[in-house]
Amino acid sequence: MAYAYLFKYIIIGDTGVGKSCLLLQFTDKRFRPVHDLTIGVEFGARMITIDGKQIKLQIWDTGGQEAFRSITRSYYRGAAGALLVYDITRRETFNHLTTWLEDARQHSNSNMVIMLIGNKSDLESRREVKKEEGEAFAREHGLVFMETSAKTAANVEEAFINTAKEIYEKIQEGVFDINNEANGIKIGPQHSTGAGAGGAGGAGAGGASSGGCC
Amino acid sequence: MDFLKSGIKTVLGSPEVGTAAPSPAETVERLVERVTNSTLLQDRRDSCRALKALSQNYRIEVGAQAMDALRQVLELDRADNETIHYALDTLKNIMSPTLFKVEEDNHQVPCNIGEQFTEMFIKDPQNVQLVLDLLDEYDFRVRLSAVQLLTFMLTNRTRDIQEIILVKPMGVSKMIDLLGDTREVVRNETLLLLIKLTKGNANIQKIVAFENTFDRLFEIIASEGHAEGGIIVEDCLLLMLNLLKNNSSNVNFFKEGSYVQRLLPLLATRDDEAEEAGWAAQRVANVQVTLLVVRALVGGQGAGAGGCRRAVRAGGVLAALCGVLMSSGVPAAVLADTILAVADAVRAEPESQDYLAQVTAPSDPPRPTLLVLLMCMLNEKQPFQLRCAVLYCFECFLYRNESQQAALVSTLLPTAGEAARLTAGQLLCGGLFSRDAAANWFAAVALSHALRDNPEQKRRLLRVVVAAAGGGAPESLVSQCGRLLQRAADARAQVALLMLLSHWAAGCPAAAAALLGGGGAVGWAVSQAADTDDPLLSGLAAFLLALLYHYNDDSVPEYTKEALKQVIVKRIGLEAFVSRLSSVSRLEPYSAASKQPQPVVAQPHLLSLDYEFCNLYREHESLLLSGLAAEGPAEAEHPDTLAQYRALIRQQDARLHELVAQLDQLLHNNRTLQNTLNDSLATNSHLKDENTLLKAQVSAAGAMSAAPRGSTTHDAELKERELQEKIELQDAKLREYESEVEELRTALRTAEEGRRKAEEELVTLRKDQDDLLVLVADQDLELNKYKELVVSAQGGRAPAEP
Repeated sequence: MAYAYLFKYIIIGDTGVGKSCLLLQFTDKRFRPVHDLTIGVEFGARMITIDGKQIKLQIWDTGGQEAFRSITRSYYRGAAGALLVYDITRRETFNHLTTWLEDARQHSNSNMVIMLIGNKSDLESRREVKKEEGEAFAREHGLVFMETSAKTAANVEEAFINTAKEIYEKIQEGVFDINNEANGIKIGPQHSTGAGAGGAGGAGAGGASSGGCC
Repeated sequence: MDFLKSGIKTVLGSPEVGTAAPSPAETVERLVERVTNSTLLQDRRDSCRALKALSQNYRIEVGAQAMDALRQVLELDRADNETIHYALDTLKNIMSPTLFKVEEDNHQVPCNIGEQFTEMFIKDPQNVQLVLDLLDEYDFRVRLSAVQLLTFMLTNRTRDIQEIILVKPMGVSKMIDLLGDTREVVRNETLLLLIKLTKGNANIQKIVAFENTFDRLFEIIASEGHAEGGIIVEDCLLLMLNLLKNNSSNVNFFKEGSYVQRLLPLLATRDDEAEEAGWAAQRVANVQVTLLVVRALVGGQGAGAGGCRRAVRAGGVLAALCGVLMSSGVPAAVLADTILAVADAVRAEPESQDYLAQVTAPSDPPRPTLLVLLMCMLNEKQPFQLRCAVLYCFECFLYRNESQQAALVSTLLPTAGEAARLTAGQLLCGGLFSRDAAANWFAAVALSHALRDNPEQKRRLLRVVVAAAGGGAPESLVSQCGRLLQRAADARAQVALLMLLSHWAAGCPAAAAALLGGGGAVGWAVSQAADTDDPLLSGLAAFLLALLYHYNDDSVPEYTKEALKQVIVKRIGLEAFVSRLSSVSRLEPYSAASKQPQPVVAQPHLLSLDYEFCNLYREHESLLLSGLAAEGPAEAEHPDTLAQYRALIRQQDARLHELVAQLDQLLHNNRTLQNTLNDSLATNSHLKDENTLLKAQVSAAGAMSAAPRGSTTHDAELKERELQEKIELQDAKLREYESEVEELRTALRTAEEGRRKAEEELVTLRKDQDDLLVLVADQDLELNKYKELVVSAQGGRAPAEP
């Protein structure tokens, strides 16, 4: 269970675009064609490896309905990554991206990595949004882009892992303040003892607390 | 006292002679007036202070009049911490959920006065926002008062405030941030606030968990000294419990976040000598809440609970719980809670159940912990709640674990040479024959859990032979149970034995045959089922008989399937029998027991049905009823029921018709409304169109007037102006052309006149010419005449001249 880092993600986007299915595919490797409406927010977790390091992903899957917007907003601040999902077979979910993005940018910390995801790529015959349009939107707003299928699992791993890679790179570059847990990043127990030897002044508090619990 | 009064008079000024002192309401009114209208901060501050002083003794007056003024202070005087602090404290007093001492004897103050004022205050959700904003204020008094005020408001109107806070972005996050306040008083009050805030609201619970609250709580718990710490540890654990209870998402988060292990220090036991000294009251409370937290993790019925149980075992928490169980000096209440926590932790989890089987108590000789627990369960002198807890633990230990069920039955089977060792089976058998009815009940129910859904063990248990109590020949356990049933003086023992025998006979024809074959249990059950004194006993007896009928393999000649039925029909009547049988699920003990697996019984004399028995009953009831009905003479047997059902159907039919009529009516209404709506929509759109038209006209007019200034840039207006210009241009041209035409016309007219003159001239000239021609002709004639004259004149005179 030991991990080097812990990242917090949120998944946002219109209702019915497949947010919960993406999470289920990522954490349990299965697909449920009929999914209950997500009420409020649900939680899932999985361990991944990046650069030989164990990274724990904690993912909060939000309800896409308008009624849950105000609840969802409370989760932006503490998240390091966000998956912004639309449905390639429903144009209006693509049209609403701007609103979601505004919401996210307004309430999150400025370093949050946002991955744009066009889901349901298996339904090519019903496609309403071209891949190029998604790419263009992502380019325009500085997002990473991918088309996925929670049903066939295509690109699902990659979407979550690439987001983590992006965050990891930002940590390496020193963009993220990893001692501030409000950013959605936590250093794992094994890592913090190692860092304690490195002796950064800020690690003092973290070292003390880990000494207490382990 | 007089001296004091006069002292106050000199400060406040003595009241004028002859006028009464102002009433509290008047004083409050004057103060409110000053808070609202005074331009001096000092004045407002003093008035707020005075209001605060009055707000305890004259809560109604202050609350009724000052609410708006105080709200205004919170909004406008944010810069002055002292004033804000007084205003907050006043509001706090007004909304206090408890009555002040002075109010207790005053019957004019309703006991929910704080709630009423809270309701008034939050009518405008913006007011809550004002208080939330004040949490950002670093000043100690302001922040503390704001936290306390919010706590009071949450106590009074939990759901309302929760909903308001939930829709404020960062509302919840702000409060959680205060857990990091270095001033412990603020931090501690925040804990209380969060406990109130998270009560029963899953959405808030999730946000609070998301904001790293588990980490912070464990840090606080560690800094306060874990279980040995003060009430703050308990508060932290209560908050944790709120976050986890009935919230599978947070439970999953707790497990995935590896927080389970961090519970370990809270369950640590000290060495024996220290433990002998007894537990401090606060430690009891802390550990009890910790145990509730563990149960919130593993007590769920859902798919997530299994994962949590495995995490609890892997994280060493199960071992720690067993450690508490076996350490000395543990208070009985803590012990009972620990047993319940162990029970939930091992339920349906084979590895954990097997682990529990291996735990031994530090006694001499070492005995399995479970054995010690069973001894405790069957001991009349142990606290009743402890005994109930052990039964639940035993139930969970055997739940869906065939190998442990088999192991228990094995301890009852005769084995070579190990008679001296005490076993669980022996204990339970002893319990069955005990004089303590509660022990009978516990033992019978515990034994029934060993047989639940396990036909193999039902058969094996039939081989068990017990020496009769009176020293007679050994007899099989099953017929002993039948005998006990008849002998038992206490209904609890009978209920428990009936439940045990029902479990035994269900799905096991051999056991049914054994019961039918001897001991007189059948006769007793028949007479019991015929008797209506105790509906529970007669219902259970009927259930047992129905099971014996259903699983009858006709191997006992005395009670073949048909014979048994004849007995039932003759002695009880099929209809009465069926109604006894089906009445069980309507009895109060059934509904109480079927709620949750853990037996919740307050007193020993209330012991009745067991959860697993309720399940057995539910599984079999319809099966047995249809079996009895199908093989009996069908409808003639119960015309009453039939009539009843017919009446019921007729009733429902009538109701249905009524509802359909209502529906039609409503549909009709809906249609008319829809039509009206459509009409109004049409009118509306029509009006809209007109409006747009008018607007366009107005704007056109505006554009025309604005055109010379050239300030409008609108496209249409531009075009319009262009067109206008063109029109003007063409107008000008037109005018030009017109004038030209006019000119041409006059020219034409003059020309014509000229022509006419010319014609006239021509005519006159022709006339003149004609005249002249005539003249010429005349003169020609004259000329000719003259010529002739000349010639005639010449011929006469001049032939000479040629």
